[in-house]
Amino acid sequence: MVAVAPPRSGHRPASPATLAELERLTDRLSRKPAAHLQVESLSIGYSTLRGRFHAVEDISFEVPAGTNLGLVGESGCGKSTVVKTLMGLQPESTEVSGRALLDGRNILGLDENALRDFRWKRISLITQSAMNSLDPVYCIGDQISEAILAHEPVSKATAWARAEQMFALVGLPAGRLYEFPHMFSGGMRQRAVIAMALALNAGLLLADEPTTALDPIMQSQIMTRIRGIHAHMRCSMILVTHDIAVVAETCENIVVMYAGKVAESGPTADVLERPLHPYTMGLKNAFPRLPIRGEPRQPLISIPGVVPNLLLPPPGCRFASRCPFATEVCHSVTPPVVQVGVQRAACHHTDRAAEFRLAAARPDTWRNMRGAA
Amino acid sequence: MKQAQTNAPAAIRGRSAWSAAWESWRQVMQDSFAVVGVAILLIFVVIALTAPYLAPFDPFKAMMTETGRLARLRPPSGEHLLGTTAFGNDVLSQFLHGFRVALLVGLVAAIAVGFISTLFGVLSGYFGGWVDDVLMRITDVALSIPTLPFSIVAVALLGPSIENIILVITVLFWRNGARIIRSAVLTERERVYVKWARAAGASHFHIIMRHILPNIIRVVFLWVTMSVAFAVLTEASLSFLGLGDPTVISWGQMLNTAFSSGNLRTAWWWVVPPSVALVMLVSALYLIGRAYEEQTNPRLRRR
Amino acid sequence: MTGRQSIHPDAPAVIEARDLKTQFQGRTGIFSALAGVKPPSARALDGVDLRIREREIVGLVGESGCGKSTLGMTLVRMYQPTAGQILYRDEDITKAEGRRLKAYRHSAQIIFQDPYSSLNPRLTIGQVIEEPLIIHGIGNAAERREKVIRALELVRIPAGENIDRYPSDLSGGQRQRVAIARALVLEPKFIVADEPVSMLDVSIQASVLELLDELSRDLGLAVLYISHDIATVGYICNHVAVMYLGRIVEEGRAEDILTRPLHPYTQRLMDAIPRMTPGDSPDRIELRGDVPSPMAVPPGCRFSSRCPFATALCEAIEPALSDQTDGQRVRCHIYDDRASRAHPSLLAPKAGHITEVAEAGTLAEAVEGGRW
Repeated sequence: MVAVAPPRSGHRPASPATLAELERLTDRLSRKPAAHLQVESLSIGYSTLRGRFHAVEDISFEVPAGTNLGLVGESGCGKSTVVKTLMGLQPESTEVSGRALLDGRNILGLDENALRDFRWKRISLITQSAMNSLDPVYCIGDQISEAILAHEPVSKATAWARAEQMFALVGLPAGRLYEFPHMFSGGMRQRAVIAMALALNAGLLLADEPTTALDPIMQSQIMTRIRGIHAHMRCSMILVTHDIAVVAETCENIVVMYAGKVAESGPTADVLERPLHPYTMGLKNAFPRLPIRGEPRQPLISIPGVVPNLLLPPPGCRFASRCPFATEVCHSVTPPVVQVGVQRAACHHTDRAAEFRLAAARPDTWRNMRGAA
Repeated sequence: MKQAQTNAPAAIRGRSAWSAAWESWRQVMQDSFAVVGVAILLIFVVIALTAPYLAPFDPFKAMMTETGRLARLRPPSGEHLLGTTAFGNDVLSQFLHGFRVALLVGLVAAIAVGFISTLFGVLSGYFGGWVDDVLMRITDVALSIPTLPFSIVAVALLGPSIENIILVITVLFWRNGARIIRSAVLTERERVYVKWARAAGASHFHIIMRHILPNIIRVVFLWVTMSVAFAVLTEASLSFLGLGDPTVISWGQMLNTAFSSGNLRTAWWWVVPPSVALVMLVSALYLIGRAYEEQTNPRLRRR
Repeated sequence: MTGRQSIHPDAPAVIEARDLKTQFQGRTGIFSALAGVKPPSARALDGVDLRIREREIVGLVGESGCGKSTLGMTLVRMYQPTAGQILYRDEDITKAEGRRLKAYRHSAQIIFQDPYSSLNPRLTIGQVIEEPLIIHGIGNAAERREKVIRALELVRIPAGENIDRYPSDLSGGQRQRVAIARALVLEPKFIVADEPVSMLDVSIQASVLELLDELSRDLGLAVLYISHDIATVGYICNHVAVMYLGRIVEEGRAEDILTRPLHPYTQRLMDAIPRMTPGDSPDRIELRGDVPSPMAVPPGCRFSSRCPFATALCEAIEPALSDQTDGQRVRCHIYDDRASRAHPSLLAPKAGHITEVAEAGTLAEAVEGGRW
């Protein structure tokens, strides 16, 4: 990486030539359309010492241009694996099948050169641990302008000015571009990473647990920024998180994953209001909520049992061993994906969803499972 | 694991130290290089134990020809399988006795090194504060001792004997071990279960014996394995410099006599066996150590 | 588990902190000590009063670094307080050492956040739970085994099949239950639960919370539940205290704090929680800057450097805790006019009156009208 050698002190106004070039760059970038992503039967397999397994199996979803998609699920459900694979960051021995069409072009299995070209420019990534995505020996400004220079034919001063613009957008003072990652607090580092991810106005933004390690207040500030930015920059986003409330506030569509498969997908409001899959119902009712004054509160439920071992996935529905409504067929036959209105769920009993929803709100329904499991 | 290990059927059982050691031995033996290392080491140990019976002659006895002259520098023959030295000694007999010295020095010195390093490392890493300050400053001073001049001067002053050589090796190698073990202890000390044990009222002795030592014993063992190799090499170096114990025969001494009598270039049968044995012994220890380290530190493990 | 009623205020306290302070002194080198340089000290805990009664769960919330874990660690005497008192059943154990400290450690236990590193991987579940009994020299091997089995039953882990297994064979939720069993085996009266569910998957959090709730009811435990996940606090706590920079800024009944926060900081904290039902989300005011360092605590109100309502009075005088309705107590000038009457020259803050929000506007301005 070549240092851009910025002026080493304070914020200096850019020259007219730089401003003009910045104007043209901004203009060019702002005309980039939001990306449309179509993932079709994506499977991701790993080989380990103990055998081969599929971290993700046959998942399909779509991110229409300009929308947000929330990818939720618990640890080990494969949600981060999906994001890594879309960025081309999966380990070498990984077996990937299926297609991921970014504006009609399959981005799975691209070679290093093609990957380098489309990362940052077409897809950019906001990771959970901001410290790992920043290089400790370069100042933040160098890192952002370096990313810009790698893709846009502009002068260093212009790239720097663009970085300043991005810092303003995420609420950081321009002067701090001269600082190094370790001088930033956790929340500021996360904002710097967001600034970097936005610098080239990539059509698709992948946010992998962007606020998990942060305080509630910092988390809300960052999510507010991401939402504001999304509203004004034309881009699509996949937000990976275990926090369904964050998805409820941020994303139009939701994909609920369980043990490497999609349990349920659809518009967020519909899925959370009328979940079809018992896992979604459980997840929703297990999520702690603030009380509302004068209203009786629904008790918190917990889903008994553990996620099945993916090395030896059970036949039938993967949630069956933890599902209070599971029947004979659930344990033996892989459930079909059923479309109900705008929602899709992989469950044998979507026709009884209304009845399940009532039962799933009662902790007893789940607690009685314990004996059986 | 000395608690509740009574034979009462109702007592709570855990993994015994033996089964843990067996488990880790089994894992090490999955590495084929380590198997080679262990095989070499085993052969060496057997030779060392049986050397007096294997050796055809007294290593110090000067061989005479039929004509009554000293059998000097005889190349290998049916009578002297590895020839003779410039002083008429049987090379094979000297070489075989060399196994005993090498392994004795290696083992005793390494155990002493392991003991002192563990004591320093555990005390200083676990207690921290001024204990750490004092012990680590002592270690720093020890670390500033230059290896070769110190060993030459010390052996020259104390007199060249096996005991003194072992003493010198111990003084030289405990210091690095103390640092390595201290850093392992520092990691262990921060474990949540150690914090919890303190909160539950456990004594320092209890925490060290139950939580710290069992978790760093692999590091100690690794350091002891490596120390055997260092000790063997150091003894050879000192003997080669003429500071060996004159009452025993070591490989370093054989090389020394070959060198000082001016036959290093010509009498290959005198030079090659001790050199090869040294390299084999040290390599075997490194192979075992490497396999052990890989197992101790899973990040080094190949996928 | 739908929330709890308050414990009667006159019930005797199991544990009580009085003006408790814990400061961390930076380490001095020999030379700076000789030169008379005093290392900076961090006021992690700066005057906290707290009472926890039998069968009561007190929730302690706040951002990371606010001192809530320090309070937990100080109460179980893992940190030595710099000033103030800790009373265990009216006995002052602030400076207890030796046998008295060990006796206290018998009755006060702590559960840590990380269920993956809180159990020694080389010990079986049985050994892990038996350890406190060995430390305190209780019973013989057979008696200890019986107690271990009972503790496992309390946390609903089948003893027979699990007692000889290793922690690596268990799931995160089960490990946390084992950690709880280990804390319970000594039959303590007081437990500090420091973020016990924050590393667990949402689907099993409830079962651990429920367990704490039941244990506190059935065994009469006093529990300090520390969490930054404010929503969970509402399910199991009777009383909630909100900490900011080493001090309690607001406390009261859990329901009141969660639905009717008074302190501007508590209000921001509640607003920050994402809501699952669309339309429930409040308008959020962005706070200025970061939490100040406990090494440089601002004068006046500790929150004044970030508070949207702060005035000159807030920056000069630190408010005292003032009593509000239903036993709610808040440390803010907006609800307490004692300071403003004593200092009429300084502008007093008013509820809802935003004085200066340096950064809150930036996002709106930046994205308004601009092309990006």
